[in-house]
Amino acid sequence: MTASTHQSPSVTASTVEEISEGLGEPDWLTEIRLEAFEAHDELPQPEVIHTPGRRWTNLDDVDPAALADPDQSASAKDRIEADGAEVLAWAEAVDQHPEVIEEHFGSVVDPQRDSFTALSTALFSAGTLVYVPSGQAAEDVTIRTSMGARSLFNYTLVVAEESASVTVLERQSSAATDATDRYYSGVVEAVAGENASIEYGTLQNLDSDTTALGVKAGEADRHGTIDWFEGNLGGGLVKASVETTLAGDGSETRIVGAFFGHDDQHVDVASRVDHEAEHTTADLVTRGVLDDRARSVYEGVQNVGREAWDTSSFQRENTLMLSDTSEADASPKLIINNHDTEASHSATVGQVDSEDLFYMTSRSIPDQAARDMLVEGFFEPVLDEVTLDELREDIRALIADRLETR
Amino acid sequence: MATLELSNLHAKVAEDGGEQILDGVDLEVGSGEIHALMGPNGSGKSTTAKVIAGHPAYEVTDGEVNLHLDGDEFEDLEVDEADLHWNLLDLEPNERAALGIFLGFQYPAEIEGVTMVNFLRTALNAKLDERAELFEDEDEDAEADEDDAGYETSPMEGPVDEGEVGVEEFQAILSEKMEQLDMDESFANRYLNAGFSGGEKKQNEVLQAAILEPEIAVLDEIDSGLDIDRLQDVSNGIEALRDEQGTGVLQITHYQRILDYVEPDHVHVMLDGQIVKSGGPELAEKLEDRGYDWVRDEVYEAA
Repeated sequence: MTASTHQSPSVTASTVEEISEGLGEPDWLTEIRLEAFEAHDELPQPEVIHTPGRRWTNLDDVDPAALADPDQSASAKDRIEADGAEVLAWAEAVDQHPEVIEEHFGSVVDPQRDSFTALSTALFSAGTLVYVPSGQAAEDVTIRTSMGARSLFNYTLVVAEESASVTVLERQSSAATDATDRYYSGVVEAVAGENASIEYGTLQNLDSDTTALGVKAGEADRHGTIDWFEGNLGGGLVKASVETTLAGDGSETRIVGAFFGHDDQHVDVASRVDHEAEHTTADLVTRGVLDDRARSVYEGVQNVGREAWDTSSFQRENTLMLSDTSEADASPKLIINNHDTEASHSATVGQVDSEDLFYMTSRSIPDQAARDMLVEGFFEPVLDEVTLDELREDIRALIADRLETR
Repeated sequence: MATLELSNLHAKVAEDGGEQILDGVDLEVGSGEIHALMGPNGSGKSTTAKVIAGHPAYEVTDGEVNLHLDGDEFEDLEVDEADLHWNLLDLEPNERAALGIFLGFQYPAEIEGVTMVNFLRTALNAKLDERAELFEDEDEDAEADEDDAGYETSPMEGPVDEGEVGVEEFQAILSEKMEQLDMDESFANRYLNAGFSGGEKKQNEVLQAAILEPEIAVLDEIDSGLDIDRLQDVSNGIEALRDEQGTGVLQITHYQRILDYVEPDHVHVMLDGQIVKSGGPELAEKLEDRGYDWVRDEVYEAA
C-alpha cells in the first residue's frame, strides 16, 4: 500500500497552486511544490531501520494524503520575535526576503527526500522564516503551533548569517477537533553561516491520535554551530529525524533528545551527523523512557567523511523501560572514512535498577514515588544539556505530569 | 525508645533453590545501645542487615523481626498500645524506615539525576507522611475527613501539609548536619552518591541517618574504605546518633578499627548464619588478635 492509493480527492495540484498563490509565492517555489506533489506518489516512504525479516517502524498504514486537510486554518501559530531576528509568517517572508528563501529553501532537506516530505513540501501553509542577519544575536524566538485541524503541514526555515546567533524554541500541541485520526508533518531547515550559531529546541506534545513525522536538518559552515534539542512526549506514531551536516572546517553540533512513550505510542527517533570537513565535533545524546506498551526505535549515525580530518564524534543512547510490555530497539552506527578520528558510540536498554529502588525505599520513600524520582533523575543528565531554560522546565513539568497520571 | 528483636530468623536467597543464609539469628538491640556484629565473609552479616530493612532479594523462611516502640514517646499522641509493636516482616521497606529502621549501606547506590538535597527532603517528608499513616486511627481519620472535607490528618503530625518540611527549613537542617559531619556544603547539590569517593559515600550514609533520626540504625561495614580522618568523622557521627538522638546502633564490621572510636556495649560473632558468641568490647579485641578460627573451634567442639 502506498500513500497514493488513499489519496484524498480533495487534495489536487490545484490545491497546491491555491496554497502557493495564497501565500504570494513566486513561480519557482510553486513549481517546487507542484513537482513535489507530482512526485510524492512515486517516492519511497521515509527510511526506517530494516533488519532481516523485520522493519522496525511500520509506516504502511500511514496515509498522509488521505488525511490531508486543505483547510489548515483551524491550526494556530504564534511567533514570538526576539531582538536581532526577523520571525516571519510565510507570506511575509516571501514578500520581504525572497532572496533568502530562494537561496536556502530546500537546500538542506531535499523536497523530494521521500513521499511524506514531498507531500509536506507541496501542502505546507504554516511556514515560518527565522532570519538573523550577519552579526546579530537573537534569543528566545518562540514558535508555538496548536494543531486544530485533521492535518497540519509545517515548515520552518532558520537562516543565521555570518557571525549571527539565534535560539529557537518550538512547541507543538493539539487543540480540540472532531478528527480522531490526525497527521502532523514538520520540516525544519537550519542554515548556520560562517561562525554562526543556531540552537533549536522542540517540544512535541501532540495528542495520542496524531501521527507525527518530522525532519529537522541543518548545515553548518566554517566554525558554525547547530545544536538541536528534540523532545518527544506526545503523538501516537512518532517518527523524528534530526540531522546535521558539518560542512565547514571547525563546525560543531549537538543533538540532544528525550522521549517518554506510554500507552501504545511508537517513537522512532533518528539522529545523524555527517562530518564533511576538518576539525569538526559532534555529540549525540538521547535518553528515553517507555511505559505501558510503548515502543521505541532509535537509530544514530555518525558518518565521518574522507576529508573530515581530526574529527571528534560521540554518541550515547539510553532507554529505560518501566513495564514488561514496553519494547526498545537501538542501533547506533559509526561510519569512519578518515582514520584521524576520535569517536565512540553506545546504547543501553534497561529497567529501573532494583538496588537503586531499594536504596530509596529504605529511606522511607514509597515504591512508586521512588520509581518516579528515578525516572525524573534519569532524564536530568540530558536536560542539563538543554541551554533553553524554558524548554527544560517545560519538559520537566510534562515528565512530572506523565508520571503523576500513571 | 525502641527495641529491635530478631528471633530465630531464617532467610534464604529469594529464588527457586536459593541458598539458605540465615539459620536462626537471635538478637536484641535497644535504643542508645551500640552492638557490633562481627564475623568472616559469608557468615550472614549483610544478609541480616538487608532482611531487617526488607530487601526483596531475600525471603524469610522462619522467625520474626519485631520492633517495639516505647509508649512514652507517643504520650501526647494517643497512639494505641497495639501500634507500639510491629512485625517488620509484614511491612514494606519504606514503612520499616518510617518506623525508625535505618540501613547504612556497604555499597550505597549511585543515583544520577537526583540531588542529595532533593532526595533527603523527599525522604524526610515521606517518613513523616508514612508515620502519619501507620499510626493513623481509623475513627479519628473518619472524623477528620468530615471536618476537613478530605483533608488528611494524622494523630502524630497534625495535618500532613502543615507537617511537611519546606525547602528552606530543610536546607537549614541539612547545613547544620553537614557541618557537624565536616561535609562540604557543595555535596547538597550533587547527584546522590554519584562520583563520591568511598569515604564520602559512608559519610553520606551517616548524614542521612542524622537527618532521618532513626530508632535503630543498622550500619553495614560503614568503616570500609575510610581513611583515618574520615573514620573519625564517621565515628563522631555514629556517637552523635546515639548520644543526641538515642539511636540504637547495630554496627556490622570486619575489623576492630571502628570499635576503637565507637566502643560497643555488646559484640556478637556470626558464623554460618547464626550468632554463636556474644560478649563485651573485649570480644572484639580478641577477634582482632586471633581471628575467627578459635570461635569456630569452640562452636564445633561444643556441638
